[in-house]
Amino acid sequence: MTSGGPPRAASGTRAETAMRFWVTLEGRDTEVELHVDQGRLWLEFEGRRLEADFHRLPDGEVYSLLVGGRSHEVRVSAGDGALEVTIEGARFPVEVRHPLEKVLLSVKRAADPSAGETVTAPMPGLIVALRVQPGDRVEAGQAVAVVEAMKMQNELSARYGGVVSEVLVAERASVAAGEVLLRIRPVAS
Amino acid sequence: MPRLARVLIANRGEIAVRIIRSLRALDLTSIAIFSEPDRAALHVLLADEAYPIGPGPSRESYLHLERVIETALWVKADAIHPGYGFFAENPTFARACAEAGLTFIGPRAETIAGLGDKLAARAAAARVGVPVIPGSESAVESLDAARAVARRIGFPLMLKAVAGGGGKGMRVAADDAALATAWPLASGEARAAFGDDRLYVERAIARPRHVEAQILADAHGRVAFLGERECSVQRRHQKLLEETPSPALDASTRAALGESACRVAREVGYLNAGTVEFIVDEDGRFYFLEVNTRLQVEHPVTEMVTGVDLVAEQIAIASGAPLSFGDSPPAPRGAAMEARIIAEDPLRDFMPSAGRIERVRFPQGPGVRNDAGVYRGYEVPVFYDSLLSKLVAWGADREQARHRLLGALREFVLEGVHQNIAFHRWLLTHPEFIAGRLSTRFIEEHFTAAALDAGPEATEVALLAAALHAREERLRVTLPQANGSSVRSAWRWSDRRRQPGRVRR
Repeated sequence: MTSGGPPRAASGTRAETAMRFWVTLEGRDTEVELHVDQGRLWLEFEGRRLEADFHRLPDGEVYSLLVGGRSHEVRVSAGDGALEVTIEGARFPVEVRHPLEKVLLSVKRAADPSAGETVTAPMPGLIVALRVQPGDRVEAGQAVAVVEAMKMQNELSARYGGVVSEVLVAERASVAAGEVLLRIRPVAS
Repeated sequence: MPRLARVLIANRGEIAVRIIRSLRALDLTSIAIFSEPDRAALHVLLADEAYPIGPGPSRESYLHLERVIETALWVKADAIHPGYGFFAENPTFARACAEAGLTFIGPRAETIAGLGDKLAARAAAARVGVPVIPGSESAVESLDAARAVARRIGFPLMLKAVAGGGGKGMRVAADDAALATAWPLASGEARAAFGDDRLYVERAIARPRHVEAQILADAHGRVAFLGERECSVQRRHQKLLEETPSPALDASTRAALGESACRVAREVGYLNAGTVEFIVDEDGRFYFLEVNTRLQVEHPVTEMVTGVDLVAEQIAIASGAPLSFGDSPPAPRGAAMEARIIAEDPLRDFMPSAGRIERVRFPQGPGVRNDAGVYRGYEVPVFYDSLLSKLVAWGADREQARHRLLGALREFVLEGVHQNIAFHRWLLTHPEFIAGRLSTRFIEEHFTAAALDAGPEATEVALLAAALHAREERLRVTLPQANGSSVRSAWRWSDRRRQPGRVRR
């Protein structure tokens, strides 16, 4: 079920902006956007849009989750740095983070001072601006590209600095998550 | 005929609770004993009376013979029910009860002692024409003697401890070289486990099934067969799922097996409830294995199909009364299966898991019985057996019982400790299990940890639930410090609702 759903009495609509989370679980990660539309809660993730209802049970940490009509009973408790979700006895450690962190993490992963660094697209998006070209000297923390994704412009910066050895994309190009945008070669100090 | 009005239960956990229930139904007084960590255990809460027995370690409490007997005398108990484990098959304890003037609810001390000697039990079976696995008639004195037996019965063979049980001192040898290697290991294990390093030799059955006969024998010479149980699904000799009837037996084999069990019981003058264990080979032939002189963990499956309360029968027998059904035991009706819900982690090689039961919802429904020893908030102690509950389902046939058990397992919520509910769901949906093709090697042949991997739907639900919870809790992630050395640690949960000094709206 991707839209519509059974008719439901609209509850008091409270104004709420969409919330977006980056959720990761044992290698699988996705971004989930939650928003309320005319009293209905919608989940958008991985190109799908599902109506959900999340109801806290008197048991405290336990919820009844209806998603796309399927009924699940889940327990969510705070673990060490992550949430622990229990479904039918199986425990899942899920990290819930701000989507921006994905950007930062990807920059960090791409960075390796000895071998030079690679700046990659943290998410699928559009190259809005390239601030450097091959041969340019860049300092650590200097912005090198701007990627627009999730309706936000994200500035990507060099982690360690060096000399831009290669620029692999052009402005206005669409890039996939993880796609290498440019490489920076370290310079001997 | 002694009137047993006050019964002390020298046990704990689900079996103590189970026995209390029968005592209640008989209008008898139930007396619990408990170790220090068991102060809040369910059997203490449910019993009419409860008395402390010592510190956590079993040796200092439930297995402290003098203390248990003294307590029973002091509280003026008439009888002691040992449950299973602890003192259940200990002839010294049974004798001590008799000497103290207490009725031991179980077989006579000399029967327990006699059947505890596996070779003597085997000899008794052979005397009355019950098939035994070909092997040595007595303990083999040396490796050379074992080799001589091997020449007669052939390889593969099994070395077993005369005093054995629980798989200790048990080794399979495929050939002569393996026998030479296994000999010192098996005798060493037997000495360590039983203080008796005597071994005997048996032919190894390739893919054996474990099928056992429930018997009841009263003091008036009646011996009744109440059907069999198949307990082939085991891991390291620990039974995990039991069922009745056995899918391996046809009607005539079942009758022959039951008749054999009764012959053995009569031969040794058996009294009270007992279980005669058999091995069934791939051709459907059965061989006597041993007699367990106690109520079995898996006795509820028999109760489900016969309607007989085995604990009540045990008490009746111990008080000198005849079997409730006289000379005609009820014919088993339908099928029953029991899943042992154990505190263990199937993903970590089934390591036992202790801890607090954070959440519980027991299954219900037609034909469902749950013998549990835990409740919400209960702390599973580290000292004892990791059995939390026995979930049993009855059905008109095996398929209905299986479906009901599967449904009940889906309903079962038990959180806080690792447990094997998902394992049982895997087992009950395995094609070989559904087909009834079982053997004691079922798990090693079919199970891998990957079998318990969560499906894509559960993973997705977990991801969504975490995001929804974050929204529900108004959890926010703050931006990290610039140039934070670790991006991950720089991120922080902030929970508006829990922050002190913040006004909640």
